[in-house]
Amino acid sequence: MKYFPLVLNGLWRRPARTVFTLLSIAVAYVLFGILSGIDAGFAHTLEVSRMDRLFTDSRFGTPMPLAYGEQIASVPGVIVVAPRSGLFGYYQDPKNFIFVLCADRRFFSLRPEITISPQGLATLLQTRTGAVVALELAQQHGWKIGDKVPIQTQTAQADGNQVWTFDIVAIVDDANYPGAGGWFIANYSYLDEGRVTEKGTISRFLVRIMDPGHGGQIGRQIDKLFANSPVATRTSSERSGAQSGLQFFGDVNFLTSAVLGAVFFMLLFLSGNTMLQSVRERIPEFAVLKALGFSDSTVLSLVIAESVLLCIFAAAVGLLLSKLIIPIARGPLSDFLLLLQMPWTAMLAGFGLALIIALLSSLLPALRVKQLNVVDALVKRQ
Amino acid sequence: MLERLRQIVAVTAMGLRAIPERVGASLVIVIGMALVVAVTISILSMSVGYMRTVQNTGRIDRAIVLSHGSQFEFASALSRDNVLTIADAPGIKTAGDGKPILSAEYLTAVLVTKKTNGLDVYVSLRGVGLEGLALRPEIKLVSGRMFQPARHELIVGKSALAQFEGLEVGSPVPLPDGDWTITGSFESNGDEHESELMADSETLLSTMRANTFHSVTVMLEKPDSLEQFRTAVTTNPTLAVDVTRETQFLAAQSKYLNTFLTMIAYVVGGIMGLGATFGALNTMYTAVSARAIEIATLRAIGFSGDAVLASVLAESLVLAVSGAVIGAIAAWIAFNGNLHAIGGLVFRLTVTPSLVALGIGFAFTLGFIGGLFPAIRAARLPVADALRAT
Repeated sequence: MKYFPLVLNGLWRRPARTVFTLLSIAVAYVLFGILSGIDAGFAHTLEVSRMDRLFTDSRFGTPMPLAYGEQIASVPGVIVVAPRSGLFGYYQDPKNFIFVLCADRRFFSLRPEITISPQGLATLLQTRTGAVVALELAQQHGWKIGDKVPIQTQTAQADGNQVWTFDIVAIVDDANYPGAGGWFIANYSYLDEGRVTEKGTISRFLVRIMDPGHGGQIGRQIDKLFANSPVATRTSSERSGAQSGLQFFGDVNFLTSAVLGAVFFMLLFLSGNTMLQSVRERIPEFAVLKALGFSDSTVLSLVIAESVLLCIFAAAVGLLLSKLIIPIARGPLSDFLLLLQMPWTAMLAGFGLALIIALLSSLLPALRVKQLNVVDALVKRQ
Repeated sequence: MLERLRQIVAVTAMGLRAIPERVGASLVIVIGMALVVAVTISILSMSVGYMRTVQNTGRIDRAIVLSHGSQFEFASALSRDNVLTIADAPGIKTAGDGKPILSAEYLTAVLVTKKTNGLDVYVSLRGVGLEGLALRPEIKLVSGRMFQPARHELIVGKSALAQFEGLEVGSPVPLPDGDWTITGSFESNGDEHESELMADSETLLSTMRANTFHSVTVMLEKPDSLEQFRTAVTTNPTLAVDVTRETQFLAAQSKYLNTFLTMIAYVVGGIMGLGATFGALNTMYTAVSARAIEIATLRAIGFSGDAVLASVLAESLVLAVSGAVIGAIAAWIAFNGNLHAIGGLVFRLTVTPSLVALGIGFAFTLGFIGGLFPAIRAARLPVADALRAT
């Protein structure tokens, strides 16, 4: 520790070089932080998609009879079955696409992640035309509790009207839950009593099972029930659905690790070059240190310490910056992906990489200093 | 003027010849720029390939009709009566037998497994009208035979065939009333349809127990006929539809993903570029101090500051651009032509000359910034001090 001023002096010998190296590394760590945040968002999406929640969908997209629910509930291992249907439409402008999810009380018990208050839920169930919307959606269109919201759809009511009007009874904020920004949840009874076609049908059953490990088996049992019915089903766990859904964004893991690989290769080269130059310039100084009685291993560790200090400090600056940037970038990106703060494991990995870069890049110069011949160096023969 | 130019050329050549002496430091710029350009071009090659596939699909003399307010085909519904009314509208090209060239289409999806990762993907199954082939002359069978109406037969696009399991000619595809057979495979000018399955729309409609189509695509007499056609169908009181030129419809459909990919490329490329620029600054400042005595000597014997400035800048630019060329070539070799699927849509990663030019231009800008400040310092180097330094 007593050599700390010596290490600092070594680094600060050419401030411009040190600052530029530091900035390059810091910038790379900003990128590392953001990419880890994207990865964390995908991991979170997978994590919250549960193995004990199955989706039974119509195999070919044709509507399923509501009565399927009772048969599904009779399969051993099934705890709750929640039917839900949907209305595709838009608010005011076709660009404002809205998916009105029509369900009943059971839907909320299957999706406990929806942070609706008991009063909010009670009001929804009592209000035939009630709707619960996500905070993001509400803010986007300036909706408040009590507002009447007309949604233009392709589904006609008995009088031929294709506009369905909903009363906002509650607003829920589940910003960390993937896909929750567009929640627009209404009563199935309103939809089914109002429409003239496809009455008594459903587009999906959500199924809660007792043992997450039996998802595959129970899914197959459910599908077997309807294999020879007019409408065959296809059941999959929420987790496997999420895995398939995430492919949409390309092989994100591959992309981020390829980019990070390129970035760290660049850093290794950059900081290695800095250390090599810095040591080359100071050969006579190291010779003086050795002449003064510093051991080989002490000068070796001095060089390594410089490199480690530079890399770790730069990494810390970069990671701190990315922590500040993530909340700002999150909003504009939310249309495309869920950006989260990086987990502490990613942060540790980042520092670990910084350490590796520091050690690798100081290896050559440090060995050179260690093997330095004092007399030759002092008369500048090296 | 000519004298100055000659000075610049002489000093620049001298600086460039000395690059091998500073090879380690110079490689920092070359490798840095190569990586920045390779990463940026690779990500952009996705968006270019995707857009090319989408653009290949669209023709300016085709128009798509959806029910009013529908943003995409799945959300639209058109009845048989609607289709007949649309077919009567003026502006549609007619075939030799006097029938309008149009296809009333029904879209559904078939679950398949992606070969590369074993995950489930939905592939579009498009039911096309009997005139569907006259409407899309770009579709050509490459193996097997065409599907026949009223039979449970379909054909598969060659990209879908390559990327997904179980779509070979002769394979069964399960649909609500039993298995359908794939009778042939087709190519279609590298467009979106190559990622689809196609069948007869009437047969598919009865299998799916549906009674409405999703969309109608028509061939216009000429590109200018769009307005005539649109006016006719949108003013008809029995119809509530939107008419869009096919090229515009597809551009709107693909905007979202394209924006996403382009944004990722620019953010990642921008941040990496910033890091590479700091590296370049570092290298060039070092180069200037290594050449301090040489530069001071040149100044002392009468070379101008401009010539010195130009030489340092040129060195930085040469290193940056050669790095960019290496990066672009690497990206081209590694990715150009690779098949990639996003969801059920398959496209080829495409590294175009304009992408390469973009990468080189980007590296040129970064090299300029990285060289400018060291160059200014070199030009202002106090001659006497530098000469005395040793």
